[in-house]
Amino acid sequence: MARTFRYYGKKRGNRRTGSSTLGSAGELLFYAAFLLAGCGGLVALFAFLVIPEWRVNNEFVKHSCVVIEKRIGETKDEDDTLYRPEFHIKYEVEGVSYLVWTFDIRMAYSGGRENVQEILSRFSETTDPERPIEYPCWYDPANPESVVLVRRSSWWIWLIFIVPASFILIGGGGLIYRVLHWGKSAERSAAMAQRAARRDPFELNGPSGPEFPHVPGGGDITNSPGTTLKFRLPIGTSPGWALFGTLVACVLWNGIVSVFVVIAVGSFVDGDPDWFLTLFIVPFLAVGIVLIVVLVRLLLVTTGIGPTMVEISDHPLVPGAEYRFFVSQTGRLQVNVLTVSLVCEEEATYRQGTDTRTETRRAYREEVYRREGFEVHRGLPFETECELSVPAGAMHSFKADHNEIRWKLVVEGDIAGWPDFKRDFPVIIRPRDGGSSQ
Amino acid sequence: MNDCSVIIVFDGNGRTYRPGEELSGEYRLETAAPGEIKAVEVSVLWHSEGKGDEDLAVHEFWRFSTEDGDWIDPGRPARFSTVLPNSPMSYDGLIVKILWCVRVRVFFHRGKDVVAQKPFQLGAVPAIEV
Repeated sequence: MARTFRYYGKKRGNRRTGSSTLGSAGELLFYAAFLLAGCGGLVALFAFLVIPEWRVNNEFVKHSCVVIEKRIGETKDEDDTLYRPEFHIKYEVEGVSYLVWTFDIRMAYSGGRENVQEILSRFSETTDPERPIEYPCWYDPANPESVVLVRRSSWWIWLIFIVPASFILIGGGGLIYRVLHWGKSAERSAAMAQRAARRDPFELNGPSGPEFPHVPGGGDITNSPGTTLKFRLPIGTSPGWALFGTLVACVLWNGIVSVFVVIAVGSFVDGDPDWFLTLFIVPFLAVGIVLIVVLVRLLLVTTGIGPTMVEISDHPLVPGAEYRFFVSQTGRLQVNVLTVSLVCEEEATYRQGTDTRTETRRAYREEVYRREGFEVHRGLPFETECELSVPAGAMHSFKADHNEIRWKLVVEGDIAGWPDFKRDFPVIIRPRDGGSSQ
Repeated sequence: MNDCSVIIVFDGNGRTYRPGEELSGEYRLETAAPGEIKAVEVSVLWHSEGKGDEDLAVHEFWRFSTEDGDWIDPGRPARFSTVLPNSPMSYDGLIVKILWCVRVRVFFHRGKDVVAQKPFQLGAVPAIEV
């Protein structure tokens, strides 16, 4: 089917389509503008800062002069007044006498009148021509009217180069990428990108091995040997990190909300209630309270319920195979129910406007262990070892830029007097060698 | 606008393949005049569908271009063949779907390119039941 040029966007199912030609042209212009701005900035920096300073230090001729007059130059910059030292100097080059207002090559204004005053005090004016007070100065041999009283080597100039350099890198890189892919099909671009990625030495240890493309390698899962079985599985999200993240969110949110709460309460105390602010902050306050509840719950689970440990007899897993796994739960607990499940989740990332959203759906869950009504004593962890069968038709683990299929063992506990807890232990399911999943 | 159409046929009329199995077939361009075609690209690829943005990866890619001295005869069927990879398998999930196909894209000296694709199944992972 022939495709015609389309400059408008069109919604198709979950996806919005548009003119790729127009999109590419827009990107090309965007990156070109970045590159031009970077190059312009670079040239300007060299022309106005680097080259004049270099010429003063390397090409200007040393001479002597007398200061006739000195003053503080002033200029207004929006709210502030800026200052610079200005010296009226007199010097003679090849019989020609020059009278010039100068200081350094940039003659830049800055804040701080005291600093400028201090610079002025370093030079004395010649009041008696019979007893001149001479100072060194440097003039441009090509134009003797161009003269400075001080020479500088400003190292910070090179820091400013970060700005145009980043513009050039972003603009140039984007432009090269766009030009290389201009007029190329999605398949050809993908093939080129894949070839380039294969040349990347860091990609060799990345998520996709060459034998099983787009199946995560799982190297981080097998780097910890178990004490009872072959591998100890790492926990998906450490309870400590989850607690820290929730604590930070809770403090930030409630810190900001508390400012408005204080203002609202103050209005009531003063006898002039601000009802609009009060009603406005109610939902924000509710979110803050929920965050506190979540934090307390996490704190109880993290500190009260001991660590959970899961070990497995082999890894990666393959569909249709059987394994043994070992669970250890420490703490001092009256357990109502403890379950272990094999779970598969699909995760899709998509852009909606300027936001990037992620949606996760559970595609498979099978309870592989369950025990009810037992006690765990301090110093005597609960331990159990049991069978795990991976379904013969299970989809393998998969990871691409925007889509992912991941498997994990999930330990869930219903503990008397404590909040329920749930801990994930990711595993990799690899396709069977040279065969289908079945 | 080009009214060329592309016919893709798999050997043995295969639809489902196992990882490591050979996929072969041929394509032919119908109603295209010789000299009109600038290039032909043949890809064996997978792409995603569903809730997420599209991922696409090419397993095998061939490009034939008259500018590179390749002879493209639209009247003659052209063959392709590749050994399929171990992964990713075709998958029909809840919000993630992985689809394999052979895609033929024809570029003309004038007018827009023409694309045709023929899907096939890699592996036999059953669809997720909602």
